[in-house]
This record gives sequence, C-alpha cells and structure tokens, in this order.
Amino acid sequence: MISSYAVGIYPRSEELIEATRKIAKNLPSLYLKEKKEYIAIQKKAKLGYVCDPLLDWDDMFRPFSKLKSVNLEALNRIYETNTFYRRLSFDGPLNDVGNIIKSNLVVSLLPKNRAVCVPDPYTFADVHFSRKYKKNEFPKAIAKMLRKEINNLVRSGFQLIQLVAPSIAYNPKVDFGLLHEALNIITRGLKAKTILHLYFGDVSDKIESLLELPVSGLGFDTTSTSISSIKKHSFAGKLLAVGLINSYNTKLEDKEESISKLNSVISTTKPDETFVTTNFDLQYLPKDFAVRKILRLGAIARGVKSE
Amino acid sequence: MSKYFPTQEIGSLKKPSWLLNVVKNPDVSKKDKVKARNEAALLNIKTLEDIGLDIVYDGEVRRVEMYEEPVRYVKGFEFAGRVRSWDNKYYNKARVTGQIGYKENFHEEEFEFIKENAKRDIKVPVTGAYTLADWSYNEYYKSKGDLVMALAKKVVRPLVQDLVKQGAKIIQIDEPAATTHPSEMEIFRESINESVKGVNSKIVVHACFSGNDYEALAPQMPEIRAQQYTLEFANRDTWNLGVNEKERKGYHVLKLFKEYGFKGEIGIGVTDVHVDKIETPQLIRDRIIYSAKALGDPSKIYVNPDCGLRTRTRSVAFEKLKAMVEGAKMARVAIST
Repeated sequence: MISSYAVGIYPRSEELIEATRKIAKNLPSLYLKEKKEYIAIQKKAKLGYVCDPLLDWDDMFRPFSKLKSVNLEALNRIYETNTFYRRLSFDGPLNDVGNIIKSNLVVSLLPKNRAVCVPDPYTFADVHFSRKYKKNEFPKAIAKMLRKEINNLVRSGFQLIQLVAPSIAYNPKVDFGLLHEALNIITRGLKAKTILHLYFGDVSDKIESLLELPVSGLGFDTTSTSISSIKKHSFAGKLLAVGLINSYNTKLEDKEESISKLNSVISTTKPDETFVTTNFDLQYLPKDFAVRKILRLGAIARGVKSE
Repeated sequence: MSKYFPTQEIGSLKKPSWLLNVVKNPDVSKKDKVKARNEAALLNIKTLEDIGLDIVYDGEVRRVEMYEEPVRYVKGFEFAGRVRSWDNKYYNKARVTGQIGYKENFHEEEFEFIKENAKRDIKVPVTGAYTLADWSYNEYYKSKGDLVMALAKKVVRPLVQDLVKQGAKIIQIDEPAATTHPSEMEIFRESINESVKGVNSKIVVHACFSGNDYEALAPQMPEIRAQQYTLEFANRDTWNLGVNEKERKGYHVLKLFKEYGFKGEIGIGVTDVHVDKIETPQLIRDRIIYSAKALGDPSKIYVNPDCGLRTRTRSVAFEKLKAMVEGAKMARVAIST
C-alpha cells in the first residue's frame, strides 16, 4: 500500500449548482453538507491524506481577492481548458496576510492526516500581475505572502502541502533561478511535506532541473508527462506523487493496470515515499464521476504491494 | 457584397426573459412554446435588420447553447453532467461513449423560419467538430484527432450539406476552442477541411481569441478551405481614437495573416462582448480603417462584434450593434474621400 490524496477544487452536485445559480438562502449549509460528504468519501476510500473540497472557492486564487491591496480583474482562461479564473492585480503592500487560505477551509471537519493545495509562487505570479512589484520581484513577494499562509496551515495540522505548478509545466521557458529563490522562501525550515505538482504540460525535459528545487518532492500529471519519462530519473531522497487519475476524462482508470504502472515506477525511481493522486483538480468532472475516481484512487493505492 | 465593410452578427443574443418563462414552464403546451420561440426569433431578426446589419440570423434563440444543442442530436454522446466554466456558470458536458453518427438536420426548422422571415442575407452558425471534441470527454476514440475527424466527416459535413440543400448560402463554423491548444492546429485545419469537403457555399470560421494572439492560427489560414474568418480583436485594443499602431494594438495580428499569405476575408471584431461600455461609432470607424490598411484591401473587411453578444443584456447588445453599424457607415465615407 502507498499513500494517496486528491487535493484541489471538487465539483459541485446538481443540487449545489442550482443553489449557486440562485444564490439560495441555504447555500452556506449546502456547502457544509456537501463538504462533509466529500470528506467522508475520501475517508471511505482510505486516502492517505484528506482535504477540504473547496466547493465554495470560485477558483484557486479567488480568496486572495479579499486582501486590501488586491483588485479583481478580467476573466482569463485556465491554460488550455474551457474553465476560467479571474486575474488579480496586486497593487499595494501585502500586510493583511496569513489567514486567507485557512479561513476558507473547514479545518475542524478534517482528520489529523490533512493535506491542502496552494498555488506555487511562480505560477501565482505568472497568471496574475502587479502594479507595485517589478516582474522579477513579484514571485518572491507572492512567496513571502504564501509562506505566512502556509505557516498558519502547518500550525493547524496540515502535514502535506501540494504546491500546484501548472505554469512551470506549461511555459516552455522557466526561470529556474527565480523559481528556486521563491520556493526557498516557502520551504526553508518548514515542518511539512511539500510537493510541487506539475500539470498542463509535458515536463520530461525539465525533470533534472525540477529535482534540484527545494521541495520535498515532485508530482506529475501522467497524461502530459509520461511514466516512461519519469522512470528515467532517480527520486532517491525525494517524494514522488504520480497523478494517475485523470480529472479531465470520465473514463475510469483500470485498477490493475494502474497498480502495475505504479509498481514499475517505484522500482525504477526509488523515491523515499510514493503517493498516487489525481493529475489535477477534480472540478473538471461532474460529481458522480469524481466520486468514482476518488474511490478508485484509494483502491489503486491499497493495491500497490510494496515500495 | 457590393459595398465595403458589410456588417454582421456572430450568433448568439441573450434570450428575452419572457421567452425563458414560457419555455421553462411545464404547464405551457408544446404548441405555445413553439409559438413563443417563433415570436422571439422574429423579434431578433427584425431588430437586427432594423439596426441595419447586412447579414443576420435569429440570435440562436432556439438553441439551448452552442455545445449542448448539437450534442443532443448526435449519436455517440451521453451527457455526463454540468461542469463549471467560471464562478457559478456551468455547461452540460457530454461523454463520447460510442461511434459518432448524424441523425438529422437539427437546424432545419430554425433555418426554414429565418429564410421565410429575413430580408437580409443569412449566415447560419454551426458548432465545429474541433470544439465539440475539445469540450467532451472522449471515452471511445483512440485519440482526440480521431474523434475530431469522426465529428467532421460524420456530423458537421452532413449537417452543412443539408443546410446548403435547404438554401443556406453562408455557413459559419463556430470554433471557440480552435486556438486553445496551439499544438493541435493541424487537427483543427483538417477538421475544417473535412467538414466542408464538397460543400458549395461560403464558409466562415469563427475562432475566439486565446493565449497567443492567433499566431498559431495564422500559418494555417491559407490552407483552410474558408473564405472568411470572424475573429476577436476589440477586447485587446485601446479605447482611444486613432488609426496608428499605438491606438490599434488589438489589430496588429492582421499583418501576420497577410504575411502568411491569407487572401480571404476577415470579419473584424470591433465590439468587446465582455464589457457593457458602448463603443463610439468613431472608435469603430478607426478600427475598421486601420484593419483595411493592415490587410491591404478594404473589400476583404467585414465588421462584427468579437463574439456572440449573449453575455450582455439585450439593450446593451443592441446599442453596441447600432454603434457598429454607424461606425461602418463612417468608415465607408472616410475611405471614399
């Protein structure tokens, strides 16, 4: 058995969708009810780490629009998907930070083995902009902001932080020096596992550089970065998260085939610890399919015999 | 068209609230719902004609939405449920679980009504194969390319052929997903070419803006069997008057189309469909004049909003279209003097 998790924004049920469309009076209680359901499903699947399904988050960045110096801007496409987010403009000092993410989670409902996803500072700065910070300073300013957020999360018992990093995967050119500096701000002395999760692009040619970054481990979307590419590298001293469950297709992964792939990648790369996960947020699926995928994720994790 | 800068709509308009109240009411008879849809279609056609558009449709008032509508009538799809587009907006996404197949001309009734009631030229919007595939879950075909080609050959082509038999002279293939995956532009190119193979009508391709400023589309344009592209420009342009590079930065890419050897028409988006602010006719005039110069031939310029106006209220949409028609008139005067 290996560990598993499925962090990110989960899909809303039809009942919740209708309620959000009408901004129904019972919306907060519906959010809570459905969050409890999703947490129960993760527990039923025996996932190694359990997360808040972020049902009330409009996108991965929106809670930060509550900061005094941040303004909401136009809708933008999330990379090559048919889903959109609102760009944020960071126009002043980031003083009122530290409790933005935590205050938007139902921490009290989560078990001790809790995980959370946070945008990596490079991606964050790439998809938003600032009228205050210069281009090469902006990722580090974001990193300092996120560090305060993550410190609070770790104090609240979060053991695994998935740093979601689509821009590093999607953009052909990445300033690894700047990325290293920004990640260092986040991870230096942090008492939690940090996994940089790469999706929306093939990172086969970047894995060597990625392995040098100051994070506990790397996570991969195996629909864009092939298992065979990952297997070319040693993960000794690192954690490896294999995003085998495809959140962009309703087709359910074959359990035995997935277990076989995991056994193969573990024996070749020899990571300190292996996780199986989704390739990215489950919000790209309708709820029924997402639930099936969570249960299958747990079954696959339990089926892997050894590390 | 005999005159410069013909004006046209892209497709969708917001449905009138009275229509939604009727069609969503389970107590209203089917006959009365048909009557309401006809009235709404007629209202849109006449309004667009009164505003002065040269090429019209019915605001796609009978269609649920550009993806869900065709998927309902195509073999091989099963709806999976709603997924989020943004915030509290969703669309019904389908799975491809079997071989794709065409059942019937699902725009027949709609087009017949418009043909009978429109006095201006008609352009029929049809959702393209690439977008249908891109917005679906593919559980059946080996690759996305295989699914796209199946949709092009087995659905879009027979639909377009049926519409042409019915009398359609201009078909617009709507491909909002076209440029969202720059690495798949060859699949997109082949899907259009397969969709229109042997079709005897004017083909317009509408592609929304995404990411790389149509740079991925430009090299493909001369190889695609389309006479016109209707594209988004206004939402990246400035609101300042003028016909220079600085003011008209949203339209620079037109020069790239020319460099790649595209010799067809461009329906330039002169109206931002994402904001309520109404463009002035003078601004639209300047956008047209710049575009005519950039493309090097004013006869190749058609004028339209960036995209369908369904995200705006009807009053805002109609005000924007009025300004657009007025701006085109001003541009005709300016170019002739």
